Amino acid sequence: MGLGAILVVGAEREIFSSAAPQTDLKALLAQPLACVDILGRSVLESMIERFVRANVEAVTVLVAAEHSCGVEPLRGTYEHVSVRVVDDLFSALSEQLSDYSRRGIEHSFVVSASVYTETDLLDLFYFHREARQVATRGLDRDGPLDLWVVDCAQAQQGDVEGLLAQAEKAGATYFIREYVNRLLQPQDLRRLVSDALSGRCAMRPCGREVKPGIWIDTGAEIDRGARIVAPAYIGRGSKIQEDTLITRFSNIERDCCVDCGTVIEDSSILANTHVGIWLEVRHALANGNMFLSLEHEVVIEISDPGVMRSTRPVQQGTKDGWSWNRKAREPQTVADPKPKPSPAPEWQLGADLIQG
Amino acid sequence: MMELPEKLQHAEGKAFLVELRPLLEVDRPRIVLDCSQMENIDSAGIEILLHCMEEAMKRDGDLKLAALSPASAAILELMRVDRLFEVFATAEEAAQSFHALGLEEPQGLPWYSAPHGLANLKAAS
Repeated sequence: MGLGAILVVGAEREIFSSAAPQTDLKALLAQPLACVDILGRSVLESMIERFVRANVEAVTVLVAAEHSCGVEPLRGTYEHVSVRVVDDLFSALSEQLSDYSRRGIEHSFVVSASVYTETDLLDLFYFHREARQVATRGLDRDGPLDLWVVDCAQAQQGDVEGLLAQAEKAGATYFIREYVNRLLQPQDLRRLVSDALSGRCAMRPCGREVKPGIWIDTGAEIDRGARIVAPAYIGRGSKIQEDTLITRFSNIERDCCVDCGTVIEDSSILANTHVGIWLEVRHALANGNMFLSLEHEVVIEISDPGVMRSTRPVQQGTKDGWSWNRKAREPQTVADPKPKPSPAPEWQLGADLIQG
Repeated sequence: MMELPEKLQHAEGKAFLVELRPLLEVDRPRIVLDCSQMENIDSAGIEILLHCMEEAMKRDGDLKLAALSPASAAILELMRVDRLFEVFATAEEAAQSFHALGLEEPQGLPWYSAPHGLANLKAAS
């Protein structure tokens, strides 16, 4: 019996309530939260990986056209995973279910990519099959989740949006006891980071755990004079300069630079961010020159590039996003488009400076 | 008491400093900067605030901030200068704090005005 999965990125209709980014996040991020790297990979990729591990035959990622620039190449290589940039998510969803049905895939998961859940996907599927419902919706103690299992043949015949909305009312629900994070607010992102770093959820940072609670990803450079206190994560190709302190569940994502004397405490520095010298980033999220203080609940655009700036390289411009995304309009197998000339350099680290 | 401009960056900061200078040059300046209108401050603006505080302290006075917006408070924290300033919810509270701390000119306290006071004490003993 075939089983597929459809992940939806950037849906903002009521039915995908949890996919609608909140104001703070909109100001902070240009991309959907599902596509933001958290501990080395996006939530989207983590969810793809969960479906692949559950032996789902086909995984399709539907990306709303307005969010296509935010979807970046996946870190891993996955078979049977395709990405489609679409204008109308619900008609694309209906088409995809028809396609699955034609290919002999009888059931499919439909999930908002922003929802991170560690539920047993196969158990959910068996529950759905035994219940003989057209659609089964997952819910946890906080209410319904944007996660369904649907019968492809029956779903394609009617209004998909209505079907998904009705699943809960029809009593076809599956209670999820495992870890769930809806990633609605910036606080949710921080919670996911601290839960992953402290082992409260199954998500594990990429890279190597060099000391208990300290993960260093490939190509990261850490000065001898820097101090890292567990738990913490330093992403791919990031540079941590001398006299810095990275502490209390902080994550520095890929290609960042934390300059001399700066303290990062209980904060997330998102990919391609340069944090200037002698600063104190506490209970905050930084993305390029956008700074969100969780303590003061305010998003600030830092105009001084010496303080904070984006290090993201300027992409070859296309009207609808980067070249990778242009190709993604056609279904394709997702793989890292860049050739890998040589293995990534091992991380470099100063001795005796990491507190486990 | 003085109100900070909406923007406190390099250019605005210079103009503000010119305006504030006479207040800084008095003996024991006690200055309250009302930040309620300030929406944007950068590192140059913070440098100006630090300079003003330094000048005030040189003359045995102080400079206090009032009605900081969340954005300004976050910037001061980010730049690590939040601990250097006394911050109050309102300008009135900040002004009252000067009186509460007894920064008025000490009167009739001979031991307070050394060396003259000390000389008196020594003579008495």
